[in-house]
Amino acid sequence: MIRIATSTGENKDHDLWQRIRLGDEQAFTAIFEKYHRTLYNYGSKLSTNSSLVEDAVQDVFIDIWRLRHNLTENVTSVKFYLYRALRRRIHVALDKFPSMEEISELDDEDMPANHTHSEAILIEMESSSARAQRIQELLAQLPERQVEALTLRYFDDFSIEEIAEIMSVNEKSVRNFIYKALTSLRQSREILLISSLIFWMLLFF
Amino acid sequence: MKHDPYSLTELIRNEEFIAWVMHPDELSDRKWRTFLEEHPRKRKTVESAREYVILLAKDTGRHQPTQKQSDRMWSIVESHMHDDVPKTPEQEPVTIFKTSRGQGWRWARVAASAALILSIGSVSYWFYYKKADAPLREVAVQDEAEIPNTIQKYNDTDKPMTVLLQDGSSVVLQPGGRLSYSEGVNRKRREVTLTGKAFFEIVKNKQKPFLVYSYGLATKVLGTSFTIDASSESKEIKVEVRTGTVSVFSINNLDNNQKEAVLDKPELEGVTLNHDQRIAFSKESGKIIPLPAAVAEPEDKDVSKQHFVFDETPVSEVFRILESAYNVRIVYDREKMGTCPLNATLIGQPLKEKLEVICNALDAQYEVADNQITILGKGCK
Repeated sequence: MIRIATSTGENKDHDLWQRIRLGDEQAFTAIFEKYHRTLYNYGSKLSTNSSLVEDAVQDVFIDIWRLRHNLTENVTSVKFYLYRALRRRIHVALDKFPSMEEISELDDEDMPANHTHSEAILIEMESSSARAQRIQELLAQLPERQVEALTLRYFDDFSIEEIAEIMSVNEKSVRNFIYKALTSLRQSREILLISSLIFWMLLFF
Repeated sequence: MKHDPYSLTELIRNEEFIAWVMHPDELSDRKWRTFLEEHPRKRKTVESAREYVILLAKDTGRHQPTQKQSDRMWSIVESHMHDDVPKTPEQEPVTIFKTSRGQGWRWARVAASAALILSIGSVSYWFYYKKADAPLREVAVQDEAEIPNTIQKYNDTDKPMTVLLQDGSSVVLQPGGRLSYSEGVNRKRREVTLTGKAFFEIVKNKQKPFLVYSYGLATKVLGTSFTIDASSESKEIKVEVRTGTVSVFSINNLDNNQKEAVLDKPELEGVTLNHDQRIAFSKESGKIIPLPAAVAEPEDKDVSKQHFVFDETPVSEVFRILESAYNVRIVYDREKMGTCPLNATLIGQPLKEKLEVICNALDAQYEVADNQITILGKGCK
């Protein structure tokens, strides 16, 4: 069911895309309406300057309309195209070009093996509101690229493969960004637990 | 066991798990239910991971633009859309009207075609919006010269503008709004085309329905007051009824004969709205959606929210309220008339009818010229 649903969504995009190529203003309006908010949201993870992000989102759409007659006919995913275009725009605006440094790769096998126990305790202790707060704090502290990967994965629902292409890194790096982010989540929980233990100990002595 | 593939962290980043949480379907539902039956101890972990996935999606999606930002982005994008059009945008509506010149009401029928209205509306709206005042007036004059009987009113000020129609109805056009209509006595319908927002107070006439066209939506009334918000930037058109009854229907899918039949019927059909009811019409899908009644927020300035209930109210106060509601100037002898008390409920009546009621009570006459209303009378004895 889900497969069918997303594929019809993509078909609809594809259809709108063909209509834009022929100069259909309504199709263009529909694509703008459908994607400008999530694009802006994504752009906000790349720059905190909201007017820069607004400009970049506008420019992506202005370019599509301006170059509508030259758009590729077979764009695999309109959404993917838009996100990649936005990222490039913002990076050009920020004068930030893909850096050469390789992201240190963390092997899946390197994962700490013995954390199930501490997790089990935490799950029972934590309330939903505590979790919500934790996530908010976490996102505020994480490095930009980790937040970017989390956004594309969880909010925008891109696959790891697509995220890798949008971010111009390999898939393993994307997995690492997400894994590291989730690990910080666990660590911050452990820190909180320890600090609250210390707090109670201090109270009793 | 070196590493548990169903630990909290692993579940949160498991693609199948995320897909199940975000868009569950029969297949994934069965899979995870079976998993839970086989691993009942994992129930808490799964529940917790599910919550984290939802929280992550929610939190990473927090930075969406405000409506104001969206509007701003769209207006800039839209202004660039017509930059590269080789012909001047205003040529379009002119040619459309030309083809039907001299055939009275037919221009309206042509204009009722949603696609045309959409293109005229957005093209001319942006044309006017972008240009300064001077070229606007030129074009407007040119329009009127080209098309006899077709009058276009465009509110390029930052205040509401009152348009008085021949039949005595009044339309308060909000800034940026555009109203076009034909004058003439022999019409079987009263028809206007609106882009932008306006408040209508329509004189009752069962023989001649009053129709407002905006982007494929027709609003039909026999005599009442209501607001239509058909801004070119918005994806929706909103209709809110103040008094009386109106009907709204999409004309996108009707052929010309059907349209004629529906428009001519004296009775109201389609979706019928009574006072204080609202609907939104999606320009894209052509669907009409009922909206919850608006919370009454009495604003002195907004004509559509005014009740116009006067109980022993001094005429000077009555005129002050009318002046601000319709953004007109009322000239009268303040010394003679100002203190005369007035009892009247004037909700839903067009400006001219209101003036008539007031003048009757004062035993006075009124004259309208441009934006100025002059009241002539001796005052109350």
